[in-house]
Amino acid sequence: MPAKKPTKTSGIKDLVIRVCVGTGGLAAGSQEVIDEFGRQLKSYGIKADILKKCVNKTGCRGFCAKDVLVDVILNGKSETYQLITPENVARIVEEHILKGEPVKEWLVGPEYHAFHDKQTKILLKECGHIDPEDINAYINIGGYEAVRKIFPLETFEVIEEVRASGLRGRGGAGFLTGLKWDLCSKAEGKPKYIICNADEGDPGAFMDRSVIEGNPHSVIEGMIIGGYAIGANYGYVYIRAEYPLAIHRLKIAIADARKKGFIGKNILKSGFDFDIKIKEGAGAFICGEETALIASIEGKRGMPKAKPPFPAYKGLWGKPTVINNVETLANLPSIITKGAKWFASIGTEKSKGTKVFALTGKIKNTGLIEVPMGISLKEIIYDIGGGCERNRKFKAVQTGGPSGGCIPASHIDMPVDYESLMGAGSMMGSGGMVVMDDTTCMVDMAKFFLTFTQNESCGKCTPCRIGTKRMLEILTRITEGKGKEGDIELLLELGNDIKLSSLCGLGMSAPNPVLSTIKFFRDEYEAHIKEGVCPATVCKALRRYTVSAELCKMCGKCFKACPSAAVTWEKKQPAVIDKTKCIKCGACYEACPFSAIL
Amino acid sequence: MVNIKINDKHITVKEGTTILEAALQNKIDIPHLCYDKRLVPYGSCRLCIVEVEGQAKLLAACSTPVTPGMSVRTETPKLLKARKTVLELLLVHHPLDCPVCDKAGECKLQDLAFKYGPAESRFKAKRKHEPADTGSPLVERDSNRCVLCGKCVRVCGELQGVGAINIIGRGFESKISPAFDEKLNCEFCGQCIDACPVGALGRRHFRHSARAWFLEPRDNVCPYCSVGCTVTYDLREGKIMRARGVEGKGINNGNLCSKGRFGFDYIYSEKRLASPLIKKNGEFRRVSWEEALKHIAGRIQAIKHAHGADSIGAIGSPRCTVEDNFMLQKFMKSVNSSNNIDSSARFGYAKIQEAVQMSFGLNRLPINHESPLGKDVILVVESDIASTHPVWGLNFLKAKKEGSNLVVADTRETKLTRHSSRWLRVKPGTGVALLNCIIKIALDEGLYDKAKTQKIEGFSFLSETVNDYPPSAVSRITGISEDILVKTAREFLTAKSRLITLTIGASENTKGLDTALAAANLVILTGENPSSLQMPAEFCNTFGLWEAGVKPELGGKNAVSMLYKPGAVKALFVMGENPVITFPDSKTVEEALRSLDFLVVQDIMMTHTAKLANVVLPASCWSEKEGTFINAGGIPQQVNHIVNSFGNSLADWQILKNLSKVMGAEIAIDDIKKLREEFKNNKSVEQPAKLTFNPVTYTAVGEYDTEFPLKMITGNLMQHSGALSCMSKGLGSVIADAFIQVNPADAQRYKIRDNGFVELSSIKGSVMMKAQVSDEVPEGTVFAPVHFSHARINHLTSLSETGSPPICAVKIKAAN
Repeated sequence: MPAKKPTKTSGIKDLVIRVCVGTGGLAAGSQEVIDEFGRQLKSYGIKADILKKCVNKTGCRGFCAKDVLVDVILNGKSETYQLITPENVARIVEEHILKGEPVKEWLVGPEYHAFHDKQTKILLKECGHIDPEDINAYINIGGYEAVRKIFPLETFEVIEEVRASGLRGRGGAGFLTGLKWDLCSKAEGKPKYIICNADEGDPGAFMDRSVIEGNPHSVIEGMIIGGYAIGANYGYVYIRAEYPLAIHRLKIAIADARKKGFIGKNILKSGFDFDIKIKEGAGAFICGEETALIASIEGKRGMPKAKPPFPAYKGLWGKPTVINNVETLANLPSIITKGAKWFASIGTEKSKGTKVFALTGKIKNTGLIEVPMGISLKEIIYDIGGGCERNRKFKAVQTGGPSGGCIPASHIDMPVDYESLMGAGSMMGSGGMVVMDDTTCMVDMAKFFLTFTQNESCGKCTPCRIGTKRMLEILTRITEGKGKEGDIELLLELGNDIKLSSLCGLGMSAPNPVLSTIKFFRDEYEAHIKEGVCPATVCKALRRYTVSAELCKMCGKCFKACPSAAVTWEKKQPAVIDKTKCIKCGACYEACPFSAIL
Repeated sequence: MVNIKINDKHITVKEGTTILEAALQNKIDIPHLCYDKRLVPYGSCRLCIVEVEGQAKLLAACSTPVTPGMSVRTETPKLLKARKTVLELLLVHHPLDCPVCDKAGECKLQDLAFKYGPAESRFKAKRKHEPADTGSPLVERDSNRCVLCGKCVRVCGELQGVGAINIIGRGFESKISPAFDEKLNCEFCGQCIDACPVGALGRRHFRHSARAWFLEPRDNVCPYCSVGCTVTYDLREGKIMRARGVEGKGINNGNLCSKGRFGFDYIYSEKRLASPLIKKNGEFRRVSWEEALKHIAGRIQAIKHAHGADSIGAIGSPRCTVEDNFMLQKFMKSVNSSNNIDSSARFGYAKIQEAVQMSFGLNRLPINHESPLGKDVILVVESDIASTHPVWGLNFLKAKKEGSNLVVADTRETKLTRHSSRWLRVKPGTGVALLNCIIKIALDEGLYDKAKTQKIEGFSFLSETVNDYPPSAVSRITGISEDILVKTAREFLTAKSRLITLTIGASENTKGLDTALAAANLVILTGENPSSLQMPAEFCNTFGLWEAGVKPELGGKNAVSMLYKPGAVKALFVMGENPVITFPDSKTVEEALRSLDFLVVQDIMMTHTAKLANVVLPASCWSEKEGTFINAGGIPQQVNHIVNSFGNSLADWQILKNLSKVMGAEIAIDDIKKLREEFKNNKSVEQPAKLTFNPVTYTAVGEYDTEFPLKMITGNLMQHSGALSCMSKGLGSVIADAFIQVNPADAQRYKIRDNGFVELSSIKGSVMMKAQVSDEVPEGTVFAPVHFSHARINHLTSLSETGSPPICAVKIKAAN
């Protein structure tokens, strides 16, 4: 790069540039953006504190679609840019940093603010503001204060505080954390263990990864608090090996915490010893189930065990063990420092605090959001999410991942809390929220989730191992137009039997996507079976593959795309599809730029 | 106790009982496939689901413990429907090849489908077409029939401590397989076969040989080791087709080892003797019983006349029944007026008996099958219990699992060392030094029962003797670091309960009388009962042989005097024993036998010893006769006559009874009843314990010099027992060839290839066999299994006439 003439830089008193370096940010090219900022600023002789900050795919502001997001904080005034590439950097430096004139067309728009206004951030508050690889940054914002605060307390007082906060497990089932701790603290057996479950496996869910990547110390602090409360001197973080960045940051955080004396022997001279080990999972979804997770740590095949005995009594190596989800643990420092009352003031009567959701699917503002419990679905989808893409009609939302169910548009005013979701035939789950519009085929959607659970079934119990396979076969034949009279009833019967008789949560909930879509969208199933039609025109085999003469612009793209010479077309003539030759591959449908193929 | 209700029936069960156990105990049937009493509840088949009042979910009865007041329903419409679905799902893939499946007729899936299953399935799917694994010895696996109940995996891992198979793959693709889809390579205990509820696992030699409904089950005691397992033999047209362990039967409660499960076929060996033979001009000639017995009577009487009664001797057999052995000693003592009678126990169990007598003043010290359970510390002294007494060995594994500190002192890596809490890899034969060292530490640190023991005879001599065994010295002798010695000793001495165990078998050469005495000293010193020392008898009736009086008393000659000093006796009766192969220093034995004037061998087959005999008599074997075996626990167990005698063979006791009559003796024994009565009356009375310390010293064993630099350990393999098991085709299919185990470093030093032939020599001679290069033995030590007669391993071994172990110094070189 040619050396630039030094420009007047005296007006820059204080400059901070924040660029996301979460998994999502990095994938969008944030490292290149940082490098470019470095080069540009250096060429002007500006020393900048380019703070690496944690923003992952959605980023702290939750805009995965708008990555790379860049904050430029000049002399205390902050501006946020979206969709920044290295090519944009020179202009930002020249116009904004040197001349004080922000590049307006690249700044974030009103949807950015709308996205944030309805959120309440406890867990994600610091994500994106502090350097996750610097323990001092965490300490500076009051980190590890909670650890200092608990040591003078008796363990039962800590448990009581957590119980009073009403915090419930964020992994899905919503068991009261304080109660779980209480059971384990009273269980006989030594040593005890606390395990952080970071085996986040639901498709489209990345809440835990974001928290660990953005603020790993909050999880560690939560584990120390939990360890102290139940009398465990050892903690494990069971984390997916597919999260290399989170693992990397967690390792740094554990090492730093050990150096500072927050973990190790005799923490802060309290007499309490606590240490943490990381165990990387090998990629099995089932290992998120607590007994399978324990088996995996023990070096055994990750398969669930029958409960009782519950892990609180007989867990890891047969000793009393508490397993808490990442999000649950990350809530604890705030509960301890700000008090149970403060936490309990957020949310509903039975569901306290906030919940992080990964908002994905056919919604405008995809991203990671943190909302108070009890917020309505409508607020999430329309206010935060900005409604469906291309303003299409909102049809349903799948919560709770593959174990959850579908909530139709008619339930849009429903409050989001544990009981309401369960009542609607879905569940809170770990926080996946997949939005569907009228272009989503519900049978296909159910098939997608069932394919996932079928692949991830561990194979231990009969109903889940073989039953989900049979359900998937039935769904597949429905989407292929080979559905039979009675298939819906068969799905319902089999699904209910699987739910009733399976061993673990995976099998007990695997039929939910199917059962809930049948409940709310039975007409779509019937259309597939009886009329041979996929109303959302998603199922390839059910498209009609005829050319609408009105819509056809006679371009010939379908003719070129057809692999089986079923399309006849001449210039200035609408195309015609010969059904006897058509193999329903969908190539013409995809190729047509005018949606003329029906 | 907990009160519950199942289907409105009031039931009281122990706390911690599961619903399924509670139901089964009360004869309420809940269908199940994956449950096994011996294993941790698994809950995979989902057939045992039940409804519990107040619970929304259906619960698996096998893994749900009862709670007070619980009300359970086992057959509601909801349950029947869910169960039917589960069965239907299993049957979608399970091949309906019942007509060619060995399991048909006793298949749990078949029975359940019959009871609950739908006649037609709502689902259609391709069945699996995995090739069956038929390449392994003894066990066949057909994964297409598998219902993935996981019992085989759990029996193998949890119970048997092997873990040869596991579930591989995930979800619908899961299947049971050895690692990486390889062929099965395991102990071949066959426990998995008995556990399998369907036909996925089968006995290779039973395949397509009989339908289950034609089999007639008969129980009998296993003919191999002294555990005395009860085996259920299934017969077809009078022939044993297979053996099974049945839950709830016998001391083994369903467990069996490979010998018990597959080794019975030795009775059908082609080498069986069908009629009496008399040797004339070096050739055996078939004769009638009458001729044979008359011939023997004449010769014996002539020899007695010429050389006196003391010139007649006899060798009994731990494989023969109490009745056989009792008759033999009666034949010797009252018919021939000779006390020259002994057995192979001379080289093994006699040493244990001697130690028990010397240390505790007892005339018997039976073991207890349950003894390892619940012990704080278990110390195993140079003994491979899991091979010699496999089913008892399971209790050591269980004890370890339940929290016992299992310390195994052994030179070789064995199943027990692999499962131990601490493996002391001692140099061979140094158990005495190790035990003396623990005694020394006990005395030095005051960790012994002072009040009880200081007044016991020999105490001061003991404390003097063990002064030579401080950890520093014993560390040099055993090769175990001082720290570990002290740590082990303290753990042992401060434990709440403890157990020492060791075996002394005729074929084992790392222990001697001194080892047993040292162990007894330690047990007495800790103030424990004699039963804290568990030294099991070796074979099925070793204990009974001793009880029957097959031992030299009142100045009679023992096996050593009879067989290692040519001319010590002129005529010898050998019943069910093969000294030329199984006795140490067998060349000398062979010479002694060749120098006899008259040798009678009665056996089930033409053994190497029988070949030297003047008269060979065909004996009926186990299962072909009635009788009694007394197991190592001192429990007499009935041996049942379940198959016809082979050829013209007769029970050993009958042969001897007939012979006595031919010899004109007046014995009042006509049938087994009379014989048993007499045995009962003759039984020695229990003596009260009298404790004595018998201090022993460790003597460096074997002649280690530059010429014979290696120490050879002899011992047992898990699939074999003495030389008998080599007659079994089944066991032979696992391993039939002799080998010598050599450490890789030694193999390199002596240029030995794995599986290559080697020449192995000791001061006594040399033999040839294959080498197995393995680090199961440490450098400087080789291990030879003793079972294979063709290897003649006893050509190399020596007798130990002192109390020290008869370890053998050898050299090895590759043979071209």
